[in-house]
Amino acid sequence: MHDSDSPVQLLVNIVVLSAIYALIACGYVLIYRVSRVLNLAHGELMMLGAYILLTVASLFTQNAVAALVAALSLSLAVGLLVYLFLMRKMTGEMVLAAVLTTIALGILLRGLVVLIWSAQQQYPAQALALDNPPIVLPGGARISAFAAILVVATGLIYGALFAFLRFGRWGVRMRAAGQNPLLAAQRGINLHVIYALAWGLSTLTGALAGMLIALDSGLTGTMVTIGLKAFPAALVGGLDSLAGALLGSLIVGTAEVLLVYINPLLSDVVPFLVLIAMLIVRPWGLFGTREELDRV
Amino acid sequence: MLRRVLIGLAAAAAMALPAAAQDHYVIGLTGAMTGPAAGSLAPAVEGVRLYVERLNAAGGVNGKKVELILQDDAAEPSKAAANVKKLLSQDNVILLINASLSSTYAPMLAEVKRAKVPVLYMGAVCPKDVLPPAADALQFCSTGFAPGYDTRAVLGFVKEVTQEPVRIAFASMAIPISRGELDYAADYAKTLGMTPVDHETIPPPTPDYTPFATKLKDANPNWVFSWAPWVTEVRTVEALRKLGWDGSYIATAHLEAEGELPRVKDPKFYVVGANALFAEDSPTHREVLAAAKAGNAKYPPSLMTEGWLGGMVVEAALRKAGWPADAAKVADALADLKVDTKGLRGGVLEWTKTNHYRTHQYYRVYRWDTDKSAIVRVKDWIPYEVK
Repeated sequence: MHDSDSPVQLLVNIVVLSAIYALIACGYVLIYRVSRVLNLAHGELMMLGAYILLTVASLFTQNAVAALVAALSLSLAVGLLVYLFLMRKMTGEMVLAAVLTTIALGILLRGLVVLIWSAQQQYPAQALALDNPPIVLPGGARISAFAAILVVATGLIYGALFAFLRFGRWGVRMRAAGQNPLLAAQRGINLHVIYALAWGLSTLTGALAGMLIALDSGLTGTMVTIGLKAFPAALVGGLDSLAGALLGSLIVGTAEVLLVYINPLLSDVVPFLVLIAMLIVRPWGLFGTREELDRV
Repeated sequence: MLRRVLIGLAAAAAMALPAAAQDHYVIGLTGAMTGPAAGSLAPAVEGVRLYVERLNAAGGVNGKKVELILQDDAAEPSKAAANVKKLLSQDNVILLINASLSSTYAPMLAEVKRAKVPVLYMGAVCPKDVLPPAADALQFCSTGFAPGYDTRAVLGFVKEVTQEPVRIAFASMAIPISRGELDYAADYAKTLGMTPVDHETIPPPTPDYTPFATKLKDANPNWVFSWAPWVTEVRTVEALRKLGWDGSYIATAHLEAEGELPRVKDPKFYVVGANALFAEDSPTHREVLAAAKAGNAKYPPSLMTEGWLGGMVVEAALRKAGWPADAAKVADALADLKVDTKGLRGGVLEWTKTNHYRTHQYYRVYRWDTDKSAIVRVKDWIPYEVK
């Protein structure tokens, strides 16, 4: 690292990768926190959001904002529909059955994506006639425009989710449903609406991550794997904690970027190495609680 | 008892009937039409399908139609094995095509050797078994990219066009063939007087290539060479440019290059490949375009060159094998075959008894020309004799 820009660039690289993982990881947390279901189709739903953007891009070639809004709305609707037509049937069943259902959903989505959009590399930014110029930061480090937007979006999403869950009426209801669904139902909270909202928000945030990654560097079916790599970040932080997901993403992202300088091959498996280390030391995650472990 | 025996005989006869009654050539294909490798391999499958459709529309080969049975293996060895078993035992194919990842080869070959049916690798990496001087009697390869020769062509070009000392870095994908080729390239570069300064191996599902590009840039190369699947090649150069690196970048001209060079618009991004790009606009390229349009193709025609070439091989082999043909006749035909590639490659694709790879390999170099706003040829066919 003889280049004087490198330490700052290193920091920027860590922030970008951590933001990617954090934006994806919050989707895992939202659903788990409310319904105790591990959504193993989250990577596929994220990818689906990016492909939806690609499709609506052809309708809104001259208006990228409209395309993004339309794609996000459709992604929200997908999340709600997944709950309504699939996961709703799992309510009251064993959690394991619900988790297996999400695995089946993921396989289905992967197949559908190839059937509908083919397997070739796609570029939503090109379809929307958007440039992705590098931005020079203080210290000489550089970041692409969409990576910068992703970092800002992650901050805004987490801020909004914290505020929503802390102060919002529906946010408080979501927390209540997550803590004690029976009591929440007895107090008149409609659990199906809460669960549907969690699925909708989770799919929305995942889709936003997928869209921004695709706008930055393109889109293929391998995006699913990125979704999977974010899963350890959520687990490290504690599956029921948004703050944990943020910190877990930072730990995984930092380890992954730094290991590029030791052995690049290790960077691929580092999320899972960090996860194993955490499971040995503190199985319930950094911000999770022991109580949650039994339910996992 | 007699009734049971008769029923059994009738059933056996019914099962044997399709093979005996075949009045056309039957060939099978197992390929990665879905799954992680489908981006490169599914278009090749579509290319050969379109070629065979066009062939049949023109009357077939030796007056007989060609039936191409497609099986998706999603690049999974177990699925490939099941596909091959079905193609060999139920469909009685006389030629098998593999358009999948190398991990599918071993389970496929176990079945193929038993049935003694020849295999054509098309768009998939060529295994060592096809190389001279001891090519396997049943394995043949028409795929354009070639470990060893690709590196020689790339580094030869770099040496030829660079006046100053060459400081070269390498970017591979974390798969054995890519890493191995660039390890070889680093050694070969030294023999040409170049200085290898870094070799980054990038895992396939990397969300952000910038950390790897940062390390490459910090090594201060004036050239970076990538020999990897296209996604790694193009994302690495884009990440390097984002970081402000302005050296020259050279990579294998995978079929995706045709559509990607106009998107990236980088005049110092060179691609070296064995296939002529559609920018050449040859009559054969126009034929592929027409077939893709008529066949309502799912993939862009520029991705179908490998498949189209595979179709040419199939046609030439069946024509030579004659009618009726069996697997042995097709294998004999393939082992002494010259295929006119009609401008898609630098010369004929020729196989001999001991060389099922090709007797000559040719390379062209392309890049994006900003002034012309088009892909331009930087260097015409560079021939290499394959020994």
